[in-house]
Amino acid sequence: MVIAKSPDSDTVGFTHRYLDVDKLNKSLDKVTKDGAAYAEVRLVAYTDYSATIRDGKLERAIPGQEIGATIRVLADGAWGVHSTTDIASLEQQMNPTLKLAQSVAARRSSKDRPISLAEVPIIEDSLHWKPKKDVRNTELSERLELLNLLSDSASGHDNVVSVTCGWHDEHIHTEFLSSEGMNRTWSFQRSLINGMVTARDGGDVVSYRTRFGGEGGLELIESCDINQLGVDAKTSALRLLKAQRAPSGKMPLIADRDLTGVYIHEALGHPCEADLVAAGDSCLDGKLGHKIGSDIVTVIDDPTIRGGYGAHPIDDEGLDTTEKCLIKNGILTEYLNHRETAAHFDLKPNAGARAQDGLHHPLVRMSNTLIHGGTHADLDELVEDLDYGVYACGSRGGQVDTGRGSFQFAAQEAWLIENGEITKPLKDVSVSGLTLQILKNVDGLTRESKLAAPGFCGKGQTVPVGDGGPIMRISEALVG
Amino acid sequence: MILLPDGALERLQAGCKTIGDRCNALGINSWEVVATQSYGHQIDIEGGKISLAAGGGEGGFGIRILDDGKFGFAYLVDVNSADTAIKSALSIARMSPSVPGFVLPSAQSAQQVSDLYDSSVVDMSSEDLLIQADDIISEVASLDKRAVVTGGGIGVSANASAIFSSEGVDAAGVTTSHGVGVQVSIDEGGQLTSSWQSKSSRSKITQANECVARAVQWANLTRDPIKVETSGNDSVVMMTSEGFSPLFSVVVPNAIRGEKLVREESFWSGHMGNNVIASDLSLVDNARVPGGRSSGARDDEGVPTRKNSLIEQGRLVGSLWSTRDAAQQIAEGRIDIATSTGSAIRSGHQSPPVSGCSNLFLTSSQKGHSYEEMLEMIEDGYIVNSVMGAHTANPTSGDFSVTTSSILRVEGGEVIGAVKQAGLSGNLANALKDGVTLGDEVRPQGSYSSGSMYLPNVLLRNGLRVNPV
Repeated sequence: MVIAKSPDSDTVGFTHRYLDVDKLNKSLDKVTKDGAAYAEVRLVAYTDYSATIRDGKLERAIPGQEIGATIRVLADGAWGVHSTTDIASLEQQMNPTLKLAQSVAARRSSKDRPISLAEVPIIEDSLHWKPKKDVRNTELSERLELLNLLSDSASGHDNVVSVTCGWHDEHIHTEFLSSEGMNRTWSFQRSLINGMVTARDGGDVVSYRTRFGGEGGLELIESCDINQLGVDAKTSALRLLKAQRAPSGKMPLIADRDLTGVYIHEALGHPCEADLVAAGDSCLDGKLGHKIGSDIVTVIDDPTIRGGYGAHPIDDEGLDTTEKCLIKNGILTEYLNHRETAAHFDLKPNAGARAQDGLHHPLVRMSNTLIHGGTHADLDELVEDLDYGVYACGSRGGQVDTGRGSFQFAAQEAWLIENGEITKPLKDVSVSGLTLQILKNVDGLTRESKLAAPGFCGKGQTVPVGDGGPIMRISEALVG
Repeated sequence: MILLPDGALERLQAGCKTIGDRCNALGINSWEVVATQSYGHQIDIEGGKISLAAGGGEGGFGIRILDDGKFGFAYLVDVNSADTAIKSALSIARMSPSVPGFVLPSAQSAQQVSDLYDSSVVDMSSEDLLIQADDIISEVASLDKRAVVTGGGIGVSANASAIFSSEGVDAAGVTTSHGVGVQVSIDEGGQLTSSWQSKSSRSKITQANECVARAVQWANLTRDPIKVETSGNDSVVMMTSEGFSPLFSVVVPNAIRGEKLVREESFWSGHMGNNVIASDLSLVDNARVPGGRSSGARDDEGVPTRKNSLIEQGRLVGSLWSTRDAAQQIAEGRIDIATSTGSAIRSGHQSPPVSGCSNLFLTSSQKGHSYEEMLEMIEDGYIVNSVMGAHTANPTSGDFSVTTSSILRVEGGEVIGAVKQAGLSGNLANALKDGVTLGDEVRPQGSYSSGSMYLPNVLLRNGLRVNPV
């Protein structure tokens, strides 16, 4: 049932513990004696606040609190998992979860490889990424002031029929205990502001979305030039009203930072997730050490980039996060791993485990993924060599079939490139291709690489991610 | 493990009443408390074997309060912290704009919808699910020894919910669901093809064979692709229910929300009473379908549900409203008359209600056709069974540009082979305007926005562009 100790005014801060460590350690010891090879309890307490204004009026504001915990038990080479908001029941659920794992193990054939976990350092500590301005202390009036600034700057044109602006901040507190003696507590915050401008001209209606945010407190939003964010969104929406439908076919493509980030997230990041590789659902199976991209392509996934929307100090198996270099000069160098896949492939674990919240078990996930910069000075230098192509900007999201290695991502707006110049605005541009072909077609990158707008990634569970890189040129892509 | 603990619903109702009492004690006259609690068992399959078994429950409470047309909302997990949440909601209400005429729904009797609860689902244990998962793995192997279930699983859940308000709304119930999803891959000769298929029901699924067989069939049909010598032409496309529903669910539920229509944020804005799609097509939202995936006796603010006719014979005749959306759009002068259509939806206890669809049906007054009959109608075109990137479609304009690796080339009414990959683009609102033929078998599908899509196979003759790799 819904019985949970809530985050309240007494617990605002960073030191409070929700789990009864002594009692749960005894339960973890007992379940190990009863047959578990490994057991853990992970609790996540969220305090969040979202607000939406529409055309300058408060539409809704939602303060919330969630708490959930997940028990994982590994026994006889199989997992049992139990998730609950009933924190008081965790000790009682330990043994039923063991039995669940044993039931799975009993159904496995002798040829199935039993699950094991790579060894990791056992750590007992607390680690808190404290923001300069704790977002939990922000008044609704402060949030509305910033939202109104975005709304006002995105409004004010006869063709703009609606401006909706949203806010979301969250304080994430995690506690982790394991039968191996891990006892860690960590916390951090994320803050996000977004807007959507809808414009209409006769029967034509278009919308443009903008977003800014990352890991951090109120200071992060205050660092944003919100006025410019709104003006740019309005300008883009109005431009889309006059944009032409994109040409289709194979052609050179230049992607801005947002799209470069989505491209590398979809085309490379997902196939690099070792749980998919182990399941036989990745086109990169067996490709470690192989050349899969052009020489100028180096890709990292790094949860330690503070401020990135995918940043987090510790992964959801209790490991210190670290930078992973997925591709170095075109050669596939590393998969994203959690402990299970690291053991499966006999690799060093690299802290790639993330769960959506306290009620989900960890999967192998990306964090902040970006391509390193190249040698081109700027966009103009990438464009000047092209007779014909498309320059695409802003992401509407993407998707990948990791097994086939095919992907798709969509741009918010685009331009035609003709004779070395950016010319007509285009709309409804999407790009698709095959991972193992298109990585080799990257033939130009600007020097500066940085994270673009924050995003969300779905893989059965949704987690915040940061993506980005330089401006990127692909010599041939399928534009739709 | 027991799926649904004894007294679960009663405890949920007691929690609602406790929070309601606290609202009264704090001097709030108009309030509404909703509660949800779900319990489930789940088996995951990866790489051809069961990877884990999971179970558990989650839930919480949402409080909406109303003060002189101003509303505030907060959610919580612990009844003991109700006062903090209520005060937060009240402080938000005081900063919100007043919506004259907005009152919480009054108590009305609602007729139950049948077949939303199946005790045999509740009785299923993790062991039962493990047997079903094993059967799925075996079934796939028996259909094609090369085929492997690379992902997916099977799960059951019991979902208790309650609503209790100062206006006398007091309702509660438990629904069940049982779902199967399989990603089947065939990896042979350096060529990997795959297909995802799923099935969900309020009652116990005893046979998942049809869903499994379709996954194996499409993993096979898309092998050995042929080269197609066309480039980006407008094409005739038959989209299976599974391929069509993701695009349809991003675009259409948004377009028929009342507030979107009156705010000119829908491509059908300004067209009430006019023909907007082919004259034989109709669109109905019906939350009262027995056993429907998104059925219920009441909507998510307690208003009795009903069958809402939205498009009749191609003509836009209705739209979907929640209580607040209706009051707000009247107050802001965008429409003279609007009332709740029993179409309030929430994403659980964590959000206040908005307008949205339940079970959305696209139907035709013409005779439905079998897959084979529809295939014969295609002289030169394609069949698409799934798309990538449907969520990137633009719900405001109806424009989309997606990719498919589950596409067959058709010439002279016959499938001549698979296409490795193709871009598929167009505008869904335009594509539905004429030249549409529907299949004879409606299959319920999920949604990227709200509700469930009840769609047959759809043959679209206009406005779709296919660009094979």
